[in-house]
Amino acid sequence: MKTVKASGIGNPIDRVEGHLKVTGRAKYASEFSVKNLVYAQGVNSTIAKGRITSIDTSEAEKQKGVLKVITYKNAEKQGTFDKEMPSFGLTTIAPVFQSREVFYYGQYIACVVAETLEQAQYASRLIKVTYEEEIPDIHLEKNKDKAYKPDDQADYSRGDMKAGMQEADVTVEQTYTTPNEHQHPMELHAAIVSWKNGKVKMYANQQILEQATTAIADTFMIPKENVQIITPYIGGGFGSKLRVQRHVIMATMASKMIGRPVQITVTRQQMFTNTTYRQFDEQRMRLGAKNDGSLTALAHHTTSHTAKNLQYYEACGTVSKMLYKTPNNEVTHRLVPLNMQCPASMRAPGEATGSFALESAMDELAWKLKMDPIELRIKNDTQIDLGADKPFSSRLLIECLRIGVDKFGWEKRKMEPGTNKDGNWLIGYGVSAASRRAPYMKTSAKVILKLKEGTVNANVQMDATDIGTGTYTIVAQTVSEYLGIPVENVKVEIGDSEFPVTPGSGGSWGAASYCNGARKACENAIAELKKKQNMAEDEEVAIVDLLERNNLSTFEAEGTAEPSEEYKKHSVFSFGANFTEVWVDKDTGMYRIKRMVNVGSAGKILNPKTAYGQIIGGLTMGAGMVIAEQTKVEPNYGNFITRTLADYHVPVNLDMANIEVVFLPEEDKIANEMGVKGIGELGITSVAASIANAIFNATGKRMRDLPITPEKLIAAEIESDVM
Amino acid sequence: MRPFVYTQAQNPQEALSAATANETAKYLGGGTNLIDLMKEDVERPTELIEVADLKFNEIKPNSRGGFTLGAMANNSDTANHPDIRKNYPLLSMAMLSAATAQIRNMATNGGNLLQRTRCPYFYETSMPCNKRETGTGCGARNGMNALHAIFGWNDHCVAVHPSDMCVALAAIGANVQVQQANGQLRTIDFSDFHRLPGDRPEKDTNLQPGELITAIELPKPVFSDHYYYLKIRERSSYAFALISVAAGLQMQSGTIANAGLAMGGVAHKPWKLTDVEKYLKGKKPSQSTFEEAAELAMKDAKPLEDNKYKVEMGKKAIVRALTQAYERGA
Repeated sequence: MKTVKASGIGNPIDRVEGHLKVTGRAKYASEFSVKNLVYAQGVNSTIAKGRITSIDTSEAEKQKGVLKVITYKNAEKQGTFDKEMPSFGLTTIAPVFQSREVFYYGQYIACVVAETLEQAQYASRLIKVTYEEEIPDIHLEKNKDKAYKPDDQADYSRGDMKAGMQEADVTVEQTYTTPNEHQHPMELHAAIVSWKNGKVKMYANQQILEQATTAIADTFMIPKENVQIITPYIGGGFGSKLRVQRHVIMATMASKMIGRPVQITVTRQQMFTNTTYRQFDEQRMRLGAKNDGSLTALAHHTTSHTAKNLQYYEACGTVSKMLYKTPNNEVTHRLVPLNMQCPASMRAPGEATGSFALESAMDELAWKLKMDPIELRIKNDTQIDLGADKPFSSRLLIECLRIGVDKFGWEKRKMEPGTNKDGNWLIGYGVSAASRRAPYMKTSAKVILKLKEGTVNANVQMDATDIGTGTYTIVAQTVSEYLGIPVENVKVEIGDSEFPVTPGSGGSWGAASYCNGARKACENAIAELKKKQNMAEDEEVAIVDLLERNNLSTFEAEGTAEPSEEYKKHSVFSFGANFTEVWVDKDTGMYRIKRMVNVGSAGKILNPKTAYGQIIGGLTMGAGMVIAEQTKVEPNYGNFITRTLADYHVPVNLDMANIEVVFLPEEDKIANEMGVKGIGELGITSVAASIANAIFNATGKRMRDLPITPEKLIAAEIESDVM
Repeated sequence: MRPFVYTQAQNPQEALSAATANETAKYLGGGTNLIDLMKEDVERPTELIEVADLKFNEIKPNSRGGFTLGAMANNSDTANHPDIRKNYPLLSMAMLSAATAQIRNMATNGGNLLQRTRCPYFYETSMPCNKRETGTGCGARNGMNALHAIFGWNDHCVAVHPSDMCVALAAIGANVQVQQANGQLRTIDFSDFHRLPGDRPEKDTNLQPGELITAIELPKPVFSDHYYYLKIRERSSYAFALISVAAGLQMQSGTIANAGLAMGGVAHKPWKLTDVEKYLKGKKPSQSTFEEAAELAMKDAKPLEDNKYKVEMGKKAIVRALTQAYERGA
């Protein structure tokens, strides 16, 4: 057999790295054995604003095993921001211990390095700090007068919003809020860093290696080539490992100062204070529609907060620019600087929260119009992205909704809330549309072919990462497909910044980018081998024959895939619809998600099994947004009072319903040559509104502030227009 | 963690002697709460006295027609014990609603009685908390108190007791057997075991220094047919109760002969509703009887700034728990 397709793309094979993971042999950042290793522990500020007046490290330094205590007094000078309030980007530097100033509660103010972790942790508790404390700004509401427009992208408008609202027969004007949330991947942030002769080698769980090496190099003001990051496996990131966080810089500084490799592992408590989060968003929605449901106006204004010295805004309004056909549209974002850690990307930033507001408001509009919410969405479908003035590369939202209606049994839904009952339970159905940009970026890969006894093995190398998503598996399937060899003969080598450059994992661009990069390398290898034999480009020949004809036992080729001109002329999104049935206890405020049907259109599905995993993960995260996830800020001190996974409630298995996931068969060749689109975040975006809408359908209570906890549900009033 | 001495007691006398010799020592059972608190720097014992091997792990009939629960038996074994399931299903139901299977496998019965509040101010060492550090004040009193007490609190402390098991024990009515430092045995009525904060919020119980819990004595079972443990919480597992209600009814020819009723998540101790139990006695079960019981139960509730919802939720929970208890056996 010359070609084997059975393990190629589209097949639901098991994860190729599955055995390594379940047997504990897959090594994560903190698990590498490095000689002469010592341990660092970060110390956090206990005020939210002010300056350190004294820091006494003498007791800590006296302890057995303690090698160094680093504070602003002995820290080396690092890179500085080139302007005030820079945007918190993927290459933003992360200097530590550069002054006495404290900007937020939990800011690192010292780092203890010791022979053992226990020694470092114990000594860190013996450091005595005094502060000159100032009253911090921690309340968004009280500081709204300081709101500003973060950058040029923050505002958008088309048509005439005011006229659109006047023209409407029915309007909805409501405010929705989503709380501070934390990413909380299972794997804690960690790094093992060795600084040697001006060069840095580290094991660190970074999602995007190219950008992280830049951030680290710029912080230490050294050439980027001098930084190597290795991270073969990452135990989840959800955005928190996109940027370089300060523990990486602390460990690097410590290694440089003491001349030994240093390990640092951020504690779960520090995962709240030091590794970013999703900020609170207040979203003001204004919708106008004709009696037939056609939208005349849609405005989406978001007010949120950022740090005092760094800015990040969650682009909640993005979805309102593109999802529906409305001639009049207005989107704004405003930020209020607070004495809090700078927020950053978390799980479908913008879309997850923005969709909650938009899709809740659409449901409110449907109720006012006494129109089926499915029909309202279909009525306002558009094949043109009006926000970008480009056609969509493909958009099967209507198909997702229609197929979902059948799979879910939507026809059993009662329009009037509170009328579907079973004993103490009120039953409700809810729907929400989902959309998520499906980016595709320039990606390089190298393939190394080896011929031995008539069998071809391939190694593929790229600086890609696997954040639990299945990168190893889908890249192996791609190489198997394009070389025509069994997947078992493919070895995927990723997670090393010295491999060919990729955009890394984030923003749902990983799968499309990585696989097309690997494809290109394989195609180049075949083309180069054919060329050597003066063969026609389209002549069919097995890779084993090609190598044999060339009398080669090994051959290497590189390839770079990048977006086409067609891609740039289109708006490329994945679409979907989520259907939820909830059962709400009529008295206690508790409710159960009975079942969900999620229909997605996300281009060619590389591996239905890993894709399914992505969607159920997304649905679980979306359910978490609704059920309980929130990080509360103490109103007097400004710290996150939610500080362990015992109080930060993510859904447990019992909370998650029977979930049915459907992928529409699709190949979007405009998106990229393989027709692949991202799904990592698509699953999250539609969930919150579909649950909240189902709760309204069950109870007549419109829950506009997430999460929807029993205490809120019990206190909420039934809407006045519900019988 | 701070350094500590680890002592493995071979018999109760060794444990008691070690505890008497070191007033900053603590007994170590399953460690599911204490070890966490040590990692958090909240508890700082200089010595841990391992008592898990002291053979206080039997579950057996006692002389009162009830059962003895060994202090060192774990929560899973206790809740799933056939005699407990049969005779005290209310206790089983409450215990199985607590924590996670993994924690229940480690947690001991004695330790369950001694678990400490989940008040976030207690856990965060940089914040004020009279329970953790006497005299620093109560952060939650004028801070975030949605999860806090509506009964029995004062300005020193507004924390609640977190146990589910103890709510059922309060409803059933139990005794706690302890061995004193001098080796003498002492019996504490369950309703006197835990304390209200008073001016000593650092003290959760009325145990004397060095006293070791050896067993929990259950009375003759009377709520084995009509019982319900209702736990209102944010997710289906691994979440503490916002409000919980343990309800047991003993029915005799259509009339309530005895009622056992207690609430969790409302006070510094498991909140036994003695007046409501008396009120229900002799009544015929009905929606209006249960609603009046709920009104009576919440009559003296004093909610804080953020937990006003608990009054309404508490009433609803009592009615539901009593209704379910009644209908379960009907």
